[in-house]
Amino acid sequence: MRNRHEATPPGSRAQQGAPSGAAGTSRATGPGRLLIAVYGVFALAATARASFQIATKFGEAPLAYILSAVAAVVYIVATVSLARAGARAYRVSVVAVTIELVGVVAVGLLSVFDAQAFPSETVWSAFGRGYGFVPLILPILGLLWLRRNRPGRPRD
Amino acid sequence: MDPFFLVGTLVCALSAVVCIGAAVLRQPPNDITILSVAAVELFLLAYTVGAVVRQVTGEPVLGEAWEFWGYLLTALLVPVGAFWWSILERTRWSNLVLAAAGLTVFVMLFRMEQIWDGVAGL
Repeated sequence: MRNRHEATPPGSRAQQGAPSGAAGTSRATGPGRLLIAVYGVFALAATARASFQIATKFGEAPLAYILSAVAAVVYIVATVSLARAGARAYRVSVVAVTIELVGVVAVGLLSVFDAQAFPSETVWSAFGRGYGFVPLILPILGLLWLRRNRPGRPRD
Repeated sequence: MDPFFLVGTLVCALSAVVCIGAAVLRQPPNDITILSVAAVELFLLAYTVGAVVRQVTGEPVLGEAWEFWGYLLTALLVPVGAFWWSILERTRWSNLVLAAAGLTVFVMLFRMEQIWDGVAGL
């Protein structure tokens, strides 16, 4: 994967960066722009929150705060990869958004059924209740959007 | 109720309604929706000045002061970022991006009020 990327001649890099015309740019258009904007907000919120928790009270609940940091990384990767063109960015966003969905469901279930393990709030606690359940809806919309815009699908 | 919070809520809500309305009418970002987001930014600047004045004149933040300022400085970037992201592609969806700015700033304002009153638990 990495080798292939490094071996890419400079010419095709320039093609990737072309502003329009390439089918790969379609994910950052229309509804996708709103999706990416919301992802950006969550990347910001999760990063700020995780940094604050780890900086001030990591010892209180290490597991929850590590999960906070993982969530932050997932949101950042999802935001950037959704905004970028190309098949590679597409695969990265599918993985990131899937991890996000699994994360919010798993942490949501755990925080409801085993509150002892998650005494502290994270973005994904109780299925993202503290954030209006947007963290639960976002990956579903993300996967639908990715499915609609998968590479090779004819544009209508 | 803090008058700053009340005014901020009104400005954010108005901006969000205007922008969502324009999106429903299938309008790309126009002067009205962009100005409504500018009003949110203007409010935040006024809020910043107000916060400085209030803290200097003996009305301290009861929660973590650096957390409050972290929120405020980040909030100041939100309308700017939304404006930039929305004008790169002028479709009705971009108006929803602008609407999201108002909603996000409102949530952050709510948190800032909690921190100021010392009832925040992050």
